[in-house]
Order: sequence, then structure tokens, then C-alpha cells
Amino acid sequence: MSLDYVKFSNGFEKFMPKEYRDMVEHGPFGKKVTVSQMGSFKEVLEEHPMCAGCAMTLFIRLAMIAFPNPEDTITVGTAGCGRLAISQAAIPFVYGNYGDQNGVASGLSRGLRLRFGDKPKDVVVMAGDGGTADIGFQQVLHSWFRKERFTTIMLDNEVYGNTGGQESGMTNRGAVLKMAPLGKKFEKMNMVELAKVAGCAYVATVVPNNPRRVESVIKKAVLVAREIGPSYIQAYTSCNIEYAIPTDKVLEDAKAVENDRYQFQEYITEEAKQYLTERYGYKEFLAKPAAPAAAISGKV
Amino acid sequence: MYLVADINVEICAAKNCKLCTQYCPEANTILYSDELGKDKGFKYGSAYVAVDRCKGCAQCVWVCDNMAKNHAIKMVMIDQLPQAALTENITYGEKSTTAVLTSPVIG
Ligand SMILES: Cc1ncc(C[n+]2csc(CCOP(=O)(O)OP(=O)(O)O)c2C)c(N)n1
Ligand code: SF4
Ligand code: SF4
Ligand code: SF4
Repeated sequence: MSLDYVKFSNGFEKFMPKEYRDMVEHGPFGKKVTVSQMGSFKEVLEEHPMCAGCAMTLFIRLAMIAFPNPEDTITVGTAGCGRLAISQAAIPFVYGNYGDQNGVASGLSRGLRLRFGDKPKDVVVMAGDGGTADIGFQQVLHSWFRKERFTTIMLDNEVYGNTGGQESGMTNRGAVLKMAPLGKKFEKMNMVELAKVAGCAYVATVVPNNPRRVESVIKKAVLVAREIGPSYIQAYTSCNIEYAIPTDKVLEDAKAVENDRYQFQEYITEEAKQYLTERYGYKEFLAKPAAPAAAISGKV
Repeated sequence: MYLVADINVEICAAKNCKLCTQYCPEANTILYSDELGKDKGFKYGSAYVAVDRCKGCAQCVWVCDNMAKNHAIKMVMIDQLPQAALTENITYGEKSTTAVLTSPVIG
């Protein structure tokens, strides 16, 4: 885990596939790349078997561009659609058993701190809504209560997509799915509030139809988890198959869902604000200059 | 046969907003070339598609039509494209890429 792991071993360069050479020579390792440079550098994510037009794929693509130090990052995933792509990136990927991902990530992040001390090594969990809010719920919540310093990202497609359409805790009340034919009887879980109560230092919701915002929240979440505490991102990443969304209407759907139940929310503790400001030069948390007196008192 | 996205260089190079690649779900698929477009006398370069990676979802068509309002992308049957970019013929540069266009179907 460092810039060295992506370099060619002496004499092997000419045997490496073109995609690998492109990644070493023109990938994001050791540089700062941004969403606005997309299309001009080689991304670490390679081809994968996720469905055509899947918004989860787009989100994973954007998330990997947003990682502040991809060469010093390990992703942790679990059963579900997302791992099909996350595992196909030039970033080490650990596959936890279904629901184990936050337990695995806790041990991993502690181990990396013992081994590398203060040198940042980022651990990022990406798992489905079923993996995070149902099967992995206990491990997710306890990792937050224990203030484990890594990032948890929920890929919320509001269904168990990989296994053909069972309802999850994150499915909306009333939704009829192939394997929930009577419609869900309970409300969508409020994982954002749970994350705050359980002690996350940074929490945000996001939709993939705003690439720059995805980039911005992921960067903040990963940086906050380095030193301050757990961070949680909840991303709406629709499932075309289980919700019958035509692939060229995925962004329209994302906009509609953003307006309905996925408005941007960001929560950050005072300590995390101060840390991002002082350590990483963030300006957005600085006190705004006082408004001119006339503006406050209104027209005179 | 299957559909892939095809970007019209003349229409794209007039705007060159780079929105489509930010919304294509597939990585390394819609790329930018400063040369495409400029070699036809346009001020900007153009986006193009590595058709071997395109999964045919048409999200980029929606983005160009509705967000960029430029209508530069169409879905075309792969064997109807006389020439296209393939990953093996793409070269990355400092701030842009170049592609040698070839027939996308063998035979
Ligand atoms: C212990 C265990 N139980 C069940 C499964 C089967 N399984 C694989 S993926 C999955 C559902 C995934 O749903 P979610 O976490 O919401 O992710 P999505 O596929 O929707 O992205 C299940 C139940 C498993 N792999 N392991
Ligand atoms: S089943 Fe749904 S979530 Fe899974 S890859 Fe396909 S569209 Fe995406
Ligand atoms: S969205 Fe349309 S105009 Fe903008 S870069 Fe893509 S093809 Fe060109
Ligand atoms: S059709 Fe889909 S996969 Fe192909 S270039 Fe357009 S957005 Fe990307």
C-alpha cells in the first residue's frame, strides 16, 4: 500500500496489459485528480459485470475518483451488486462475509494504524442497503459506537438487487417488489439520524446526478475518518432492474428521488470542521463575515 | 447486434462541455481529445466513446440532449459505425487523449 505497489517490477513492463500500463503512467496515483478532469486520465476502475446504466456503477466510479489518496486506500465490501465493480479496481479490496464488513474494517483500520502509525491509510466500506441496514446493522452501529475511524458508504438502491428483489429496511413503505408482492409494511429506516446518534463525526446524503457533490462529500468523509471519527455517506443508487427504470431515464429518476426523499443533508461535528479547516485548508466552515448593518435591519 | 454511443465531433466540438463523461456509468469509456475537432478547425476538442467498453445504456444521450442541450450523441448499431475508438488504440497524454479510429467489428 503505497505508490510502490502500482509500479512495474524490473523487466516486466513490456509484458503488462495496455490497461495496466496506462494506469501506472496516466492513472490518479500520487496526483490530485478531480471530476472536472474526467475523460483525460486513466481511472482505476476497470470493466465489470454490473448492469448497463446502473446508477450504483456511476456512483462507485465517482467515489473512486474522489478518494484523496487512492494509493493508500483499501476498500471493504460484502455480498451485493456493488462488489462486482469495487473489486475490479486497482485499489486493494477486502470482501467481508455478508454483513461483516464493518467488523472487518474495524480490525483492518486498527491494524493499519499499528503498522503505519500516523501515515494515513484510508479504509472505506461500500455495501448495499441490505448489507448495511439489515444484515450488517449490528456491526455497523457498533463500529460507530466504538468510534472506529473509517468511512461507511451505503449504496442505497432500496432493495436487495443482487438476489432478485427482496425488501430491505431502506425500501419505502408500500413498495411492491418481486419478492415483496404485498408491499412493504414498514417505513424506510432513518439511518442518517442513527449515524448521528451513534457518534459519526461526518454524515451526508448524496445522489449520483451531482458528480461534484459526490466528490466533495466523499473527500470530506475520508479525511474526517483519518483522525476524528467514523463517517457515513448514504447514496441513492437506483436499481434499474428491480424498479424497472429505463437506462436512459436513470438520471431523471435520481432527480425525482432527490426532490422526494434524498435532499442533500450534511452533518459535521465542530471538531471535524476545525480539523478540515486547519489541516486541509477547507474554507467553507470559516465564520461568514458579518453582513452589513443595513442588510440586517432591513430598509430604513 | 447491439447499440453503442456515437458522438458527432462537429456538434460536440462546438460546445465541449465534458458533461457526458461525468455521467457515463462506465469508467474509461467517454474520453476527450483536444485533437478531434481542432483538426477540423474547431476551437475545442471533442468527446469520443471507447466502444469496446460502452454498455449501450444511452445515459450520455440523455445528458447531451437535456443537460448540455447539444444533441451530439446518438445510439448506433456497432456494425453501422465505419470507424470508432477502441481501448487498444487510445493513448493518454498530459491533459487529453488521442485515438486512432478503426473499424470496430472484425472481419
Ligand atoms: C450470509 C449470507 N446470506 C445471504 C446471502 C445472499 N445474498 C447475496 S447478495 C444479497 C442481497 C444484497 O442486497 P443489498 O445488500 O441491498 O445489495 P444490492 O445487491 O442491492 O446492491 C443476499 C441476500 C449471502 N451472500 N450471504
Ligand atoms: S441488479 Fe440493479 S443494482 Fe444490481 S447491477 Fe443491476 S441495475 Fe445495478
Ligand atoms: S455532453 Fe454532448 S456537448 Fe458535452 S462533451 Fe458530451 S457530447 Fe460533447
Ligand atoms: S451508452 Fe452508456 S455506457 Fe455507453 S458511453 Fe453512453 S453512458 Fe456510457
